[in-house]
Amino acid sequence: MGESAIQIRNLNKSYGGLIAVDGLNFDIDRAECFGLLGPNGAGKTTTMKIIYGKAEPSSCPDTVINVFGYHPRTDALKIKSFSGIVPQQDNLDTELNVTDNLLIYAKFYGIKQGEARRRIAELLDFMELQDKAKVKIQELSGGMQRRLTIARALLNKPKLLILDEPTTGLDPQVRHLIWNKLRELKESGVTVLITTHYMEEAFQICDRIIIMDEGRKILEGQPQQLLSANLEMYVMEIYRTSGDLLTDTLLSSWPGIRQESYQDTLFVYSNDAEKLSALAEALRISSYHIRQANLEDLFLKVTGRGLNEQQ
Amino acid sequence: MSSNNDYTTPSLWCRVSSVWYRHARVYGADFLSNAFPPFLEPLIFLAGLGIGFGAYIQNIGTINYILFLASGIIVTSSMYTAAFECTYGTFIRLEFDKVYDGMLGAPLSPNDLILGEILFAGTKGFFFSLAVLIVTWVLGIINTPLSIMAALVGFICGIMFATLSLWITSMVKNINHFNFFFTGLLSPMFLFSGAVFPLDNLPKAMQRIAEAIPLTHVVRMARAFCIPEGLSWYLLIDLLYCAIFILITGFLAVKGIKKRMID
Repeated sequence: MGESAIQIRNLNKSYGGLIAVDGLNFDIDRAECFGLLGPNGAGKTTTMKIIYGKAEPSSCPDTVINVFGYHPRTDALKIKSFSGIVPQQDNLDTELNVTDNLLIYAKFYGIKQGEARRRIAELLDFMELQDKAKVKIQELSGGMQRRLTIARALLNKPKLLILDEPTTGLDPQVRHLIWNKLRELKESGVTVLITTHYMEEAFQICDRIIIMDEGRKILEGQPQQLLSANLEMYVMEIYRTSGDLLTDTLLSSWPGIRQESYQDTLFVYSNDAEKLSALAEALRISSYHIRQANLEDLFLKVTGRGLNEQQ
Repeated sequence: MSSNNDYTTPSLWCRVSSVWYRHARVYGADFLSNAFPPFLEPLIFLAGLGIGFGAYIQNIGTINYILFLASGIIVTSSMYTAAFECTYGTFIRLEFDKVYDGMLGAPLSPNDLILGEILFAGTKGFFFSLAVLIVTWVLGIINTPLSIMAALVGFICGIMFATLSLWITSMVKNINHFNFFFTGLLSPMFLFSGAVFPLDNLPKAMQRIAEAIPLTHVVRMARAFCIPEGLSWYLLIDLLYCAIFILITGFLAVKGIKKRMID
């Protein structure tokens, strides 16, 4: 374990009667990529907003929030001066071009014009937007706007980068580009805090994750370890509309398998892929798919619900 | 990686002026359609009311009606621009475009955003008043050099209506509710502020109401700088009214809007 970047103890937040964050604890090491994973409404964004002072936690006597030695209630400006924030929704100034957007934002940090221009050229290069410097925001694709929002968050060379669902709604190429950039930043020593409801994203870039549901932490650990400790290696997805020979009782008579049912799909887990295909053969199931188990399955196992399900 | 000392928090002035700068740049991005109407509007007013009424009314007291009208609409243009900026403009930044969400990711506090917003509305008020003045100078209606001070009154007027409008905005959940503010509050204010007709002959009760509304005081100050021998120490009372009004509505605006910015 390295030096601590963020320390959270007994964090609570409610909006009126709705509890958004419920007794949350976690630690983030420096230069670590830490992921908050969970479905919409799990409290990820709220947790993140509390860290940079955009939301106020409910007052509890034993709550601890420590962000590189600072508390957001008293030192939000300090925290934001060494952090980069990428909110869930892009909010660039659509009337202005790419460079002007960044120049104006650089002014918020008190960065001088000349230095800002140098930094902007660097960042546009880094986010592969160098030929878009003079383009108006309206003419950028969604993926480019997202990359620009990330570039904007890097103007002050932050040591903490906070990203709220950075790749939601983007196509796979842009997603991979962003993941690569985040890995590079982490290599250079930046602490990254990310929220996502994509298990693949968490798997690709996070050193450690917590899985949240209804404001609470359900599981914490390294993505790979969480899988191997809690889940079988393989899963067979059976789509209910097909065949329909099988019944749950028929399945449960097979040894060494576990089953989970979600919406129209039946999930059959096992450490032996051969066994799964033999099962499919025996039951004459026509529409099935065998794959490696992932965090999505883990979430289903611990909550009985899907990660992308609206709450 | 860098230590905490490598990151400095910008000074209050730097923060507030950077917010002002952001608004000015976005406003300036569409310079033509934003800069032209302030000049056009006084022309329409002066032509419409001036020529129309002017045919019947030669003088109001000792000054002619065109001068009376021209010196009255210097600050009303400031009122409207500040009110639009801090109602529709602010609401859209707050709720639709989520501009403030982006800005609050930088080392800016909600107070910085609100102060920058108020200053920008004041600046717009100054420019709109100046545009009216330029038109009246060019037309030869107003010709005292001291009239330039009326643009400063336009700045004060802009600040006043910025704080008032922000306070209203902090309570508004639906953008259409601003209709009540404009039709119910600003339109009567425009008519009963002494901008287009004098208040002296109104019934006593209406005169008292006129004295209570903010626009009356800036109209009086602006006009005083534009007409011969218009200045008197009474204007200090108007100025005091403005100061108190700005402090009270400003306090309420900051309190209310902050709640909308921080979850």
